Amino acid sequence: MVLAVALVAACRRPQPGDPLRGLSAAERARFDSGRVVFDSVFTPAIGLGPLFNASACAECHEDPVSGGTGDEVERHAAAFHPERAGRACDELAAQGGPVFQDSVTPALHAALGIDNEAVPPEATAIAARTTPDILGFGLLDAVSDSAILAYADPDDRNGDGISGRPNRFFDGRLGRFGRKALVPALREFNDGAFQAEQGVTSPSVPDEGTVSGGPLPAGTDPAADPELSSRGLELADAFVRLLAPPAPQRLTREARQGREAFARVGCPSCHVPALRTGDNPVAALRRRAVAAYTDLLLHDMGPALADICLGRATPGKFRTEPLMGVRLMTRFLHDGRATTLEQAIDLHGGEGARAADLFRALPAPDRAALVAFLKTL
Amino acid sequence: MRPLAFLICFVAAPVLSTAAQQAPHDSIHGAVRVVDVKARTLEVTAGVGMALRVVRLQVPAGMPVATRGGGATLTLGDLRPGDVVRVSFGVRRVGYVAYTIERVGRMDAGPESTP
Repeated sequence: MVLAVALVAACRRPQPGDPLRGLSAAERARFDSGRVVFDSVFTPAIGLGPLFNASACAECHEDPVSGGTGDEVERHAAAFHPERAGRACDELAAQGGPVFQDSVTPALHAALGIDNEAVPPEATAIAARTTPDILGFGLLDAVSDSAILAYADPDDRNGDGISGRPNRFFDGRLGRFGRKALVPALREFNDGAFQAEQGVTSPSVPDEGTVSGGPLPAGTDPAADPELSSRGLELADAFVRLLAPPAPQRLTREARQGREAFARVGCPSCHVPALRTGDNPVAALRRRAVAAYTDLLLHDMGPALADICLGRATPGKFRTEPLMGVRLMTRFLHDGRATTLEQAIDLHGGEGARAADLFRALPAPDRAALVAFLKTL
Repeated sequence: MRPLAFLICFVAAPVLSTAAQQAPHDSIHGAVRVVDVKARTLEVTAGVGMALRVVRLQVPAGMPVATRGGGATLTLGDLRPGDVVRVSFGVRRVGYVAYTIERVGRMDAGPESTP
């Protein structure tokens, strides 16, 4: 009986929110403890704010489970000056950017009479950003830089009209996380999110953000810094890192035809079906194939989708969105403007325009099959 | 060199150096945002994830800018927006004051790039 239960458990397809298979007992324990941190609701008394977008990681990453997607949309802003030599992008970090929080604590409201952080007039664009699911992101983190750079073709030397470019963080390291691929590592993305999204300081980010570049008024930040310990950061990171990607569903005959159509119209040029992880201290992350459907590089998506710059990413350039788990999403593209996968494909411009044209030219059954395939991911 | 100046250099310099090392200090590794040679200021963008910050530094007159590998020594005026630098600095009444500056690459080409 026990053996039968164990066999059923082993054969069960991973569900959203499950940990990666093959974790050690210690890794599983850190995953479980990390979920508690991820789900923890902060209040002003224990560190929330004074500026914030959410009071818990799981407030946004909530659907269908912690680590999933959500319906929150936040504001990012930057100033793009292509005429400037050296660096054309100003992320407005000196004025509180690029993440401008939409909520304030009662104490900050009482002190300044504001309900959110104002975007400064220097901004040349304001972007809406939806909540992506972060299932399987530990595997994306474990892909080596060289594996990503192997897909880069900034000068389009192969003449296919696709020229993936790497983004880089301010210290020069290759970026991969975020809609503009600015952030090099998952741990940094998680650590930074506590401060940028919840206003929670930690040993990694010990200072509160500013209010549009100005100092916090006295008495508006009652919790002692750091508001989250190193242990809390490590556990939250363990939870996110060890979340399994959604298991692709079995392909129906239609979905198999859709997979062929996906290849035929050229989607895999950017939505690379599988990346491979490199060496990693966690065995479950080591040398694994990840059905990520991304190259983690920047591509020009055309003027209609363009919004802010970030790092080396100009307004029209976005990282190829991973399609793993796309079936869990209800809104698509970086700002959620598409409500169906067909719309999302249709809105691809720039380097994606040719694939979108070919998609539109497919017979209706093939278009439906391609979408059916995407809904298995 | 006059005897008094000689004395100041050999007595005061180590004292000042020690004071600088004992003052609250920090370091930043990021991209040059703005260089103002006239005002002798340098702004560097860095951060953790999407939590970004800009540090504005005063750069003492004559402070050299080292290059990776100890090659040519540069000046503040040689720095350009997008250069990746490591700066150690201290907190003074006038704000943050740079102790050392090293140019280690270009943001658009990676940390090991030749500026």
